[in-house]
Amino acid sequence: MINIENLSVKYKSDSDIYTALSGINLTIPDGGTLAVIGPSGCGKSTLLKVIAGLITEYDGKIHINGEELNPKKQTIGFMPQNYGLLPWRTVYDNIRLGMKIKRAPELLDRKMLKKLMRQLGIEGLGHRYPTELSGGQQQRVALARVFALQPDVLLMDEPFSALDAITREEMQDIFLRLWHRFNVSTILVTHYVEEALYLGQRIAILSANSGDISTILDNPLFGGKDIRQKPEFFEMSLRLRTTIKKDWKQAWEN
Amino acid sequence: MGKLVGVWYGLAAIVLTIIWFVVSQIVDLPIIPSPVKVVENLADIFMQYIAIHSLYSLLRILAGLVLAVAIGLPMGVLMGYFPATDKFLAPIVYLTYPVPKIALLPILMLLFGVGELSKIVMIFLIIVFQVVVAVRDGIRAIPTETYYPLYSLGASFKDIFFEVLWPASLPKFITAIRVALATAISVLFFTETFGTQYGMGYFIMDAWLRVNYLEMYSGIVVLSLLGLVLFTTIDFIEKYTCDWQYKN
Repeated sequence: MINIENLSVKYKSDSDIYTALSGINLTIPDGGTLAVIGPSGCGKSTLLKVIAGLITEYDGKIHINGEELNPKKQTIGFMPQNYGLLPWRTVYDNIRLGMKIKRAPELLDRKMLKKLMRQLGIEGLGHRYPTELSGGQQQRVALARVFALQPDVLLMDEPFSALDAITREEMQDIFLRLWHRFNVSTILVTHYVEEALYLGQRIAILSANSGDISTILDNPLFGGKDIRQKPEFFEMSLRLRTTIKKDWKQAWEN
Repeated sequence: MGKLVGVWYGLAAIVLTIIWFVVSQIVDLPIIPSPVKVVENLADIFMQYIAIHSLYSLLRILAGLVLAVAIGLPMGVLMGYFPATDKFLAPIVYLTYPVPKIALLPILMLLFGVGELSKIVMIFLIIVFQVVVAVRDGIRAIPTETYYPLYSLGASFKDIFFEVLWPASLPKFITAIRVALATAISVLFFTETFGTQYGMGYFIMDAWLRVNYLEMYSGIVVLSLLGLVLFTTIDFIEKYTCDWQYKN
């Protein structure tokens, strides 16, 4: 369970104070997913960086499983936009990196790791370097890395945005399969309405320039079979788009 | 491909030797002896006279190199990773970097004596700046996002060093050593003409004073081979440890 209470983040420059996030309240139940959607520059990435422990100056409270946020205590799996793979480590070493840092070699034995890699279709790539892989393959390695950790919370920043449309949908399915198996509480940030609808149990809309959450809605379509092909999916995405547009328009007028 | 590279190097060696041979035949003076005679002489005297000198030279280079890495690497890491340290140390490094180190030799000999220490310190001074600047720049070139997944796992500085800083700056670090070693060898030659009875510099200059050109050339060949061995060793280490750079 992730609990965010009244979170605010301000960036200070020499002459200016810029509010990136203000008064964010969010709860993600154990094993739930939350999609945060918003335009560029609305503070989506800031929100994720705070929960990832990368930004330590903030107001408000963040609790993960009842404990105050601390990257040393909790296991936080952070998957950056560019996959965050180390170019000087092989695929296998990249996947094991998290376990190495957490000093938890027992977390996943070789057999489990092999199985995970097989499920992701990267079992033959263990000795390659990231630069030898396609974008989709790198994405799979990044997924293997975070899921191998079995984190308390999984954070994904624009997870599949660099992939072509077909690969993206495939990766979304792969993500959901792994998520079902490992039951990891997940927060993902995206600017694709369809991605938010497909991957988010709940969807939070971040305002364009005030840095707060304007709407949180439960996603009735989440987890349904082949929902991407169903008319409800189109309807819902249309409705979501309208809500977002209205919200952002309002934000600009204020 | 590795074998092919070896063939090209062999061919180049043959071509250079032929040029040397032709020049020696045209000039026909004792100051440019034929390579055949030099090699014969080298085979005769290497174990008896030259080996000990080359060992001295090699040890001086290695001692200077180890010292330079021991001090330059941590300094480069500190300057590259912590901007506050860089602000403080960069001016010092930049103001001392362009001073021609060889010009400091008289001072070093007064401070550390004419023996081993001044020679080793000299080599250290030549290599250390290259190491500091290369490691610092190598670390600075790492995109910030590279650290994110590690930070979010609560990685310690030790983790950051071994997973990111060291492997990321290693190629530049090795290149710096390769460049600095070339200078270090020529400077070593110069320092070995003072206050020592051992070292390739001493051997070559001594042979020259005795007008024994065959021995002098033998010494030059050995000193060159010493450099070649060092370079190929460094190349080999680089190929082995930085192979990720060559994959695409």
